[in-house]
Amino acid sequence: MTTEPTGLEGATRPAAPDEATVLADISAILRTVLEEYGLDDAEITPETSFHDDLELESIDLVTLSAQLREFYGERVNFAAFIADRGLEEIIALTVGDLVGYVVGSLAVAEVG
Amino acid sequence: MPKIRVNGLDVHVQRLGHTGDAPRPVVVLIHGLLIDTLASYYFSLGPMLAEEGMDVVMYDLRGHGKTSRPPTGYLLEDFVTDLDELLDALEVDRPVHLVGNSFGGAIAYAMAAAHPERVASVVAIEGEPPARTWQESMYAGLVEGDLVIERVTEWLRENPGERNMRPFRTAGKTLDATTIAQEIPQSRLIDEDLSAIRCPVFAMFGGASVLAAQAGPLEALLADCRTVVLPDRGHSVMVEATRETYTLVRDWLFEQETHALRGAR
Repeated sequence: MTTEPTGLEGATRPAAPDEATVLADISAILRTVLEEYGLDDAEITPETSFHDDLELESIDLVTLSAQLREFYGERVNFAAFIADRGLEEIIALTVGDLVGYVVGSLAVAEVG
Repeated sequence: MPKIRVNGLDVHVQRLGHTGDAPRPVVVLIHGLLIDTLASYYFSLGPMLAEEGMDVVMYDLRGHGKTSRPPTGYLLEDFVTDLDELLDALEVDRPVHLVGNSFGGAIAYAMAAAHPERVASVVAIEGEPPARTWQESMYAGLVEGDLVIERVTEWLRENPGERNMRPFRTAGKTLDATTIAQEIPQSRLIDEDLSAIRCPVFAMFGGASVLAAQAGPLEALLADCRTVVLPDRGHSVMVEATRETYTLVRDWLFEQETHALRGAR
């Protein structure tokens, strides 16, 4: 990924974060959600499934979604991302899917 | 996590579409009993209504989701006091639209009866006004043995690895740790003529649900009421037909706001 000149002299907007950074951010956020269940030492990889591995309830996904919004801003709208998907798709969601979505949203926001 | 101290509880609230500067129509979404939380709305109607310019308030009822779970205090009037004080805490001083799903519908009707000045309209999705029929079905469902939720929890225990287990485990815990099942059927009821409810009402039912039979009587009793029965849908119409439900709710809210704007002129 290359950084395009913005044409704005002195603009300090950081480049969109890469997947490794977003995975680390999301893992940290997930740990705070999992703390409540005493699962904050659970291993989190891109393959980790929200439902089968972490056993998150939908109300936990609300917490996750609200924290993502706080962390990344309005650009990351996880609620809309989920609302567009069917139940089966939501059940199959992995941490990697979310990382991909966040990286994509932030990159689009940067181009726009 | 956004929690607000209300009526002695920490209430988990999520608000979408709220802007400090230009006040928008406020819509409060009230979820159902035991296996339900605000998540049902947060991932369906909530963001869509916010997108349409509404100020959407979602909260977990007492004993549900991330809100406190006191051992007692589960009469319908307790749920109504929570909602009334939540609106105070959020500094909402204009009448709000209440959307209630199932038991949330009963709360919406009860709120409209107790605090008519605070309620602009009620949308009840598979929900009943808290009169005698409601009480009977609550009693049958929560007290007279053979509780659906207990059967499901038992079945899940025998079928480990089954999906969506945690909400049922949580519901089982709430039933064990609180008097919710015993208290709800003892709630104060409104008069059978429903005269306490004077705001516009939109009641939606699934055609395959037993509640659909109430559409006619509701229209006959309430001063300002519209009903829709969605053919072949059951009690979970909001989950089964989210898009359809959303469109109906949105159009109703738009219509109510147009009336309000006209009235204000």
